[in-house]
Amino acid sequence: MHFVRLPLIVALICLQAAPVLFGFQSKSNSKSTAKPAAKKSTPKPGTTNLEKVPLPDAILTLPKAPPFKVAQIDRTKRSEIEKAATAIDSIIAKDLTANNEKERPALKDDLFLRRVYLELGGRIPTYQEAKVFLDSQSGTKRSQLIDQLLESPDYVSHFYNYWADILRLTERPTGNIFLEPYLSYVKESIANNKPYDRWVHEMLTADGKVWDNPAAGFQIRDQGMPLPYVDNTVRVFLGKQIGCAQCHDHPFDDWTQKQFYQLAAFTAGTQTRFNRNIPEVKNGRGMNAGDIIKVARDKDPMSKLLGPLQQLVNANTFAVNFADRPLKLPHDYQYSDAKPNEVVEPKVLWDSVPATAAKANRREQFAAWVTSRSNRQFARNIANRLWKKMMGRGIVHPVDDFNDENKPSNPELLEHLTDEMLRLNFDLREFVRIIAYTKTYQRQAMVHESFDTKPFRFAGPVLKRMTAEQIWDSLVTLVAYNQWAFQRPTARDLAPMVDINWATVQLMDAEAAANRYSNSYFPSYYNQQLQKLCGFEGQLLVRASEIPTPLPLVHFLRQFGQSDREAIEAGRQVATVPQILTMFNGPITHIMLKKGSVIYDNVVLAGPRNAIDVMFISVLSRRPTPIAREIASDEIGSGKRTEVAYGNVIWALLNTREFLFIQ
Amino acid sequence: MLSFSDIMDSGLNRRRFFAQSAAGLLGVRLLGALEEVATAAQGSSRGRQLILLTMRGAMSHIDTFDPKPNRETQGATKAIATKIPGVQFGETIPKLAGIADRLAVVRSLSTETGDHEQGTYLLRTGYKKLNSIQHPSMAAWTVFASGPISQTLPPNVLVGNGNEHPNAGFLDPKLLPVPVADPNRGLENIKSPAYLSEDNFKRRLLLARKMDAEFQNKYEGSEMEAYNELYRQAVKFMGSKDLAAFDIKTEPEATLTAYGAHRFGQGCLLARRLVQAGVRCVEVEFDGWDMHQNIFTDLPQRAGQLDQAFSQLILDLEKTGLLKSTLVVLQTEFGRTPTINQNTGRDHHPGAFSCLLAGAGVKTGQVYGKSDEDARTVAEDHVSIEDFNTTIAKALGIDTDKDHIAPNGRPFKIGGGGKPITKLLA
Repeated sequence: MHFVRLPLIVALICLQAAPVLFGFQSKSNSKSTAKPAAKKSTPKPGTTNLEKVPLPDAILTLPKAPPFKVAQIDRTKRSEIEKAATAIDSIIAKDLTANNEKERPALKDDLFLRRVYLELGGRIPTYQEAKVFLDSQSGTKRSQLIDQLLESPDYVSHFYNYWADILRLTERPTGNIFLEPYLSYVKESIANNKPYDRWVHEMLTADGKVWDNPAAGFQIRDQGMPLPYVDNTVRVFLGKQIGCAQCHDHPFDDWTQKQFYQLAAFTAGTQTRFNRNIPEVKNGRGMNAGDIIKVARDKDPMSKLLGPLQQLVNANTFAVNFADRPLKLPHDYQYSDAKPNEVVEPKVLWDSVPATAAKANRREQFAAWVTSRSNRQFARNIANRLWKKMMGRGIVHPVDDFNDENKPSNPELLEHLTDEMLRLNFDLREFVRIIAYTKTYQRQAMVHESFDTKPFRFAGPVLKRMTAEQIWDSLVTLVAYNQWAFQRPTARDLAPMVDINWATVQLMDAEAAANRYSNSYFPSYYNQQLQKLCGFEGQLLVRASEIPTPLPLVHFLRQFGQSDREAIEAGRQVATVPQILTMFNGPITHIMLKKGSVIYDNVVLAGPRNAIDVMFISVLSRRPTPIAREIASDEIGSGKRTEVAYGNVIWALLNTREFLFIQ
Repeated sequence: MLSFSDIMDSGLNRRRFFAQSAAGLLGVRLLGALEEVATAAQGSSRGRQLILLTMRGAMSHIDTFDPKPNRETQGATKAIATKIPGVQFGETIPKLAGIADRLAVVRSLSTETGDHEQGTYLLRTGYKKLNSIQHPSMAAWTVFASGPISQTLPPNVLVGNGNEHPNAGFLDPKLLPVPVADPNRGLENIKSPAYLSEDNFKRRLLLARKMDAEFQNKYEGSEMEAYNELYRQAVKFMGSKDLAAFDIKTEPEATLTAYGAHRFGQGCLLARRLVQAGVRCVEVEFDGWDMHQNIFTDLPQRAGQLDQAFSQLILDLEKTGLLKSTLVVLQTEFGRTPTINQNTGRDHHPGAFSCLLAGAGVKTGQVYGKSDEDARTVAEDHVSIEDFNTTIAKALGIDTDKDHIAPNGRPFKIGGGGKPITKLLA
């Protein structure tokens, strides 16, 4: 269903007579606009007439095959999943009854369709996808759609964005750290549906360079910050904020500064810089990083290769390795239970290190404790996080602040979901599938005010504004036949372009690598190539999950609240005036009014009689109400040229709040 | 012929909604934000304006405004004399040292949190971050209390990233800051594409409003209302000639150079233009102070940009006479450790740090408070963030004792209920 092919030839014939841009009031007649699109130049963003900028070729054709493989869903388990969903519904029903609250009404098919596409696939459905679902008479069409979405590249893309916000994923935390392999490792872990406990364990224990062992990127992301690393790890995977205890006993919670240091003692010996003391390097003839850069600079201080060379040589100095090293309390430690500068022995925050890891090194012991099945908080945290992802609010909320004062709104539900997570052996996708199957998830959304202090009992999901990525990917869906003009590079792509061997490296090798690098993943070159491939007015028309981050603040995605990837979950859905100006006047809104965009073609293909339905289904995933149909047909019959009216209706639909929100 | 206000005005609905929801839900009346703003704005004088310069990531106090020469913890940054006799700054900010008589340095701030997010939130609101309510920023409070000046410009502008900003908190969405992502590009997309006639644009707006009516009725709430309000504002701004204030490129080359050809310099210049044009409050963010590594190689450039732009801003405001009515605040969420770490960096340090005040309402040419010999703890005249914010409000002539009732029924004070530092107030 994702790669339904349009009868393209028919489409092309029909398009001959149409103007290049809906809403564009050309003085000449429409025939003169039917000539082929102008030759591609590199226009300066914002300075050109939009109607003259062609859409990039790379997005104009439906791809022949999915962009990558995704692990299959087991359809034979459907009844088991349904049973699990019912169990959740009855816990919520009991809670609602006990508190005299009523369930929200069930969602109609069209709203269900839009919600699952956005929340499992990260985008609105295409016109064709929506039609297939809305017209289907199958009694199991909802389950079918959920299953199908969960094994689609859309699911991977969307959940990549979800994790990118939590894990602060960025290709280059500094100019000299290359994390591309780690980012695509996260994406592949989702595509392969790797069990979550194994995934986290890999990240907490990975050694080596990031292109040799991409999971090592998790540690390198916090390079130079061993204590914040512990704080971040506990916050993300255990849902607790112990950061305050880094400097002093936690003011409201139980954590003491000593406990923080005891926990940090497990990972204190983790180095993120390459260890030159290993025999093959120590005894090898390889040059070191500083010498390579110095010699290269002396040879030709003006060489264009110097920039790439320095980046690449420095990037090769990042590699995770571990050796036991003691951790001392700070010199200004102020409490009576220990002395300043005293060495702390490692100790976990609760329970104990699992017996299976008793002989492992400290870093592995830490990982074993965090991800252990018997560490119930690990399962509880991810269950609560995914519940929030789907329902719009955590049972414990905010999700990273489990403490005695912040009680779960429904403890029975939270413990049940934790049991389910353990029963599923941390199969996150099956867990999401169960939630999507519940009646609770399939109810109408409700407004929840942040200042409302009553416990939220999940009579229905919370009304949400789309995330920046959902808005972007939905607009891309309306424009691009191919939403995957490129994909983020993997370790396999990067390694041959950047790796140098410290045991043997000579200036010549480093220069050769710098040459390869400067013509591949060196940012200025790489970004230029991407722009050439699918840039439109400076923005890359491809799924948000593939675009290098952090994006500049002026980018559409940042304007709509995409994270700067500095703080954990810094993505926001807050309204601003520039967002609205962008939707009114920005290039992205106007792309879809252009000939060659998906919606343009669909509307023209449908002809005047069906155009209104096509526009509504394309943008809002539903047919128009009788009143809206009348308004739209008044507009189309208003005496304006039909294409101008089409442009007005599409623009108007994009500029509704309904478009921006998920009901 | 349709007018923009016909098209977008559903303001009455919104106000009714707020009154009803607050009264119905919680048994209290919501702040009559709109009404109060309107009354305040009717005064004849434009009143005081505010420029907030926020150093994000925690600026090192030791290497800038509170050096400790001859101590081992001072590291590579030397101290230099300033215009205030006996007071030294770090060598990274010579221009500011030269105009120290126009500054009031507070060296005795401390907080309890070394977490950027919580520290910045406290700094901006005067309140600790809670799960149950979002507090308004000092910028939003200032507009709330003093009202807008220009009717065709946004009253509250943020040059930088809005993601972690408390924004208008529980106040009216009219007080939300308008973020400017790149000061050199100003406010973008303020005009329709060339192919679209004004008449047709109005048709589009009207259509959008009609198509959306059902949805908006179904999901009334503050989030939706914020969007509706901003749609109205966006339409209003699109017709305004005053938006030229957002375009710094019309400034003479010499001015652009004086502020510096970098983001923060351009942000400060934009702030001056906006204040001049009648924006009540402008905040300029300056990122990149979180120097856990190689601080002595990274700091000179950053501090150099601060030195150039901030000093130029003060001189420029002085020259144009705006400094008399504009309060300029340089603030950061906490300081950095006196002890230099193994990566030649400094880590988070809430135990003692510095912020600055200048301009309207401030007694300048002084240092208030003192840190200990290593700038590690506060030695004299401790100032909390609540005290600092209350002092800002006082300098702007805002009542800091009055309780304002939030939608959850709890009372809040502008500035966070601290004690104003009278020695700093003119």
